[in-house]
Amino acid sequence: MTISFKQIEEKLKTEAKRLLESGQVSVVLAYGKGYDEKHPMPYVARNPSDVANIVFNEYCNYNMARYLVRYPAGTKIAVAVKAADSRAVIQLIQEEKVKREDLVLLGIPVYGMKNPKTQEIIDGKTTGGLYNPVLYDILLGDEVHGQAIQLPYDVLAAYESMDKEVRFAFWKKEFDKCIRCYACRKACPMCYCDPCFIDQNKPKWGDKSPKFHGNLMYHLTRFHHLAGRCIDCGECSRACPVDIPLYLFHKKVARECEEMFGQAAGMSIEDKPALVNFRVDDSDKILE
Amino acid sequence: MSRIGVFVCHCGLNIAKTVRVSELAELAATLPDVVVAKDYKFMCSTPGQEMIVNDIKQHKLDRIIVTACSPLMHEQTFRKVLAASGLNQYLLTIVNIREQVSWVTHDIEEGTTKAKALLNGAVYRARLLAPLTSRVIDVNPNVMVVGGGIAGIQAALELANTGKKVYLVEKNSTIGGHMAQFDKTFPTLDCSACILTPKMDAVLQHKNITMMTSCEVSEVKGFVGNFDITVRQKARYVDHSKCNACLACTEKCPGKGISEWDEGLVKRKAIYIPFPQAVPQKPIIDKESCTFFKKGKCRLCEKACEQKAIDFEQQDTFVQVKVGAVILATGFDLMDTKPLVQYGYGKYPGVYNALEVERLFNSAGPTGGKVTLRDGSEPKSIALLHCIGSRDKNNHEHCSRVCCMYSLKFAHLFKEKTSADVYQFYIDMRAAGKGYEEFYNRIIEEDVKFIRGKGARVTQSADEPGRLVVEAEDTITGKFIKLPVDMVVLSPAIVPRADSKDVARLFNLSTDKQGFFMERHPKLAPLSTMSEGIFIAGVCQSPKDIPDTVAQAYGAAAEALTIVVKDKMELEATTAMVNPASCCGCQNCVRVCPYGAPGFNETKRVSEINEALCKGCGLCASVCPTSAIIARHFTNDQVLAEMEGLMEF
Repeated sequence: MTISFKQIEEKLKTEAKRLLESGQVSVVLAYGKGYDEKHPMPYVARNPSDVANIVFNEYCNYNMARYLVRYPAGTKIAVAVKAADSRAVIQLIQEEKVKREDLVLLGIPVYGMKNPKTQEIIDGKTTGGLYNPVLYDILLGDEVHGQAIQLPYDVLAAYESMDKEVRFAFWKKEFDKCIRCYACRKACPMCYCDPCFIDQNKPKWGDKSPKFHGNLMYHLTRFHHLAGRCIDCGECSRACPVDIPLYLFHKKVARECEEMFGQAAGMSIEDKPALVNFRVDDSDKILE
Repeated sequence: MSRIGVFVCHCGLNIAKTVRVSELAELAATLPDVVVAKDYKFMCSTPGQEMIVNDIKQHKLDRIIVTACSPLMHEQTFRKVLAASGLNQYLLTIVNIREQVSWVTHDIEEGTTKAKALLNGAVYRARLLAPLTSRVIDVNPNVMVVGGGIAGIQAALELANTGKKVYLVEKNSTIGGHMAQFDKTFPTLDCSACILTPKMDAVLQHKNITMMTSCEVSEVKGFVGNFDITVRQKARYVDHSKCNACLACTEKCPGKGISEWDEGLVKRKAIYIPFPQAVPQKPIIDKESCTFFKKGKCRLCEKACEQKAIDFEQQDTFVQVKVGAVILATGFDLMDTKPLVQYGYGKYPGVYNALEVERLFNSAGPTGGKVTLRDGSEPKSIALLHCIGSRDKNNHEHCSRVCCMYSLKFAHLFKEKTSADVYQFYIDMRAAGKGYEEFYNRIIEEDVKFIRGKGARVTQSADEPGRLVVEAEDTITGKFIKLPVDMVVLSPAIVPRADSKDVARLFNLSTDKQGFFMERHPKLAPLSTMSEGIFIAGVCQSPKDIPDTVAQAYGAAAEALTIVVKDKMELEATTAMVNPASCCGCQNCVRVCPYGAPGFNETKRVSEINEALCKGCGLCASVCPTSAIIARHFTNDQVLAEMEGLMEF
């Protein structure tokens, strides 16, 4: 089975048009043309006539769940979601940022998505090893079955084999590169805090200049704030202009959270966010 | 700019032994905004307090730091000093250099350095403290007592007699607890039922007591003075408002269940009252053993009941109870001795545990008070094994306190009711209590054989089938002995209730190493807990005998009364507040709060904190992603300043 991107694009257009015409939603979050085929852009269709601009190809990596929290509560929104994106939607619902009844999820079952910068296929590496959306209302295509599954934490093997010093040196090198453009924060569907801790002045939680210690403070705190919430879409790492492999740390934390609390982020609407929910059977491993 | 006074306490040598207190005061004098710094032998003494009062006047101090013991001990003392001098009491900072410094080190260098760091942090924080106003709230005058054993009964009666309304919650179908299972009580050998049942009846008759049997607490909300407790009334399948206790139903019932009351020695009906003097004397149906619930037909009890009180459709219901204080008297379980395979409990029919033997002696018990083995024969020789699972590092380190005495009581009753030889296998005889040593001497006279050595193993006799052999080391003669007997009585460790952890969680209590409820202070506040307004009495705190349990019940009743006797009470001002402009509406605070203080305002889409419920723990502030929640007295600025001060050392 191969994925027909054209077919998905057509279906996306048809459904978007139908939803906007019927007035079921006032906004459709999907993908639009960029300056070339390799660089599509996030696109918001508000009128049926906008739908013609919608595209879908193997470079449409953007996690459109990122834009949900921008709309006033109660806005009816249709959003195109791939596997990891649907997890972001679920996590946002768990965190009471959006309501399930306000959303129409246009599920996209897909594999073979590519990083436009490197041409590398990103399946497994940063999409949680899933091909089918976890939650959707309308599925734009057939569910993917039989595709080799790359487990989400497999890419950690090399990282975990580093010892403490090597690991610190690794992050020292990576964080030294950081220019504090905050693209990772902008791309992340779970980074919706306003103001973000790093932007606060009283108290000033961390240094804002792009130097190692401030960078370390920013990234470590962000990793920590995403513990149990990161849905592994990999957008932070792709958005990074200096190619810091942020996904490695996120995955490491996600794995520990999953082992400790028995739930991965954004897999079920019924779950409660692991770190702000007290359960009697919660692991005490952290105290040992 | 603030004017800080630092007062360093020696606490005799408690602190001065491992912290150089004068050096601490010297350092304090050099810190920013510190106007006066002194050290004194006992800061909590009257001269110590007067020194603070005078310095506040003389130096116009507006922040006071006392480096002394835990704030649990003397925070209130020093707050009163500030208030008396016209300062807001929240401008006091206590630095704990005793429990957290001097008592945890032998090294004076280490102690002094840590104390300096803590003091430096406290000075930094104190500069940013703001005056706060305490809240005054109404107090609910009612009290809940959880557990209907002798402790609960006594506490409930005491409180009810003062005119307060008491809710007595009991999970079984009758009150009475373990004491109702006993036959005689040591050392006076008066009959347990004779002294207990009048009290049970008094509970039933008392107009101020609402008895809630077959009930369990399922949720606790609120705080001292205003608890809002949800109680689950378990389905009894008998409408007690209609039942006239004729017990015709129990005669017809074909169901067979295991009698919990008789420790599983006999069967009981599926519709039953546990024992003849049960209160209330109305039956319940045990769903597990009821033929109708198991097979879908029978309903013989329904036919027998003229009052039409049987209701197979009955469901669990939930009752809301509002009280000002709670007394927990949830009692104990006996350790399950089956895993201690060396004693053969559950394997050899001749091995009994202590509660089973209590039932054998009891005239309302399975044998009508006759001491017979499971095969109906009378034992010719009996071994009583002390300390099974207790005083044992592999199981429970604690002494169960009553086993020595009840084993003596058993010995006496065995001698009275049988012609058997009775052997006590003990580690030490512990007979501390009024009349206990005398009782011990009396039993020695009764030709009971005492062997100083813990029973090591019980095996089946190879020569005489059916007989048991107790193996032990007689530590007086140093010889190993093997004693053939007919009956072995184990004295298992007294352990916390199996669900005590759940109860502790419900009421926000801590438990000690063994799982018993932790008291606020082992000597000076043995009935209070770390949760204000929650008191404990009886064996749920630690193993004890009936006199001590009853004494604790009186004490707990008095403690509860100190709260509910007032109409109003003052609460800490250290609560959290939401800055609605920064609130992002994630409701993390709503989810993490153990007291249910934050709520979500759907129209404004922001969280709001009910200050009456807030205990100021700061959990909400720590999970707030936008720092919209400010924990008063522990604001971000204050905490960060303190950390900065700490890290300078």
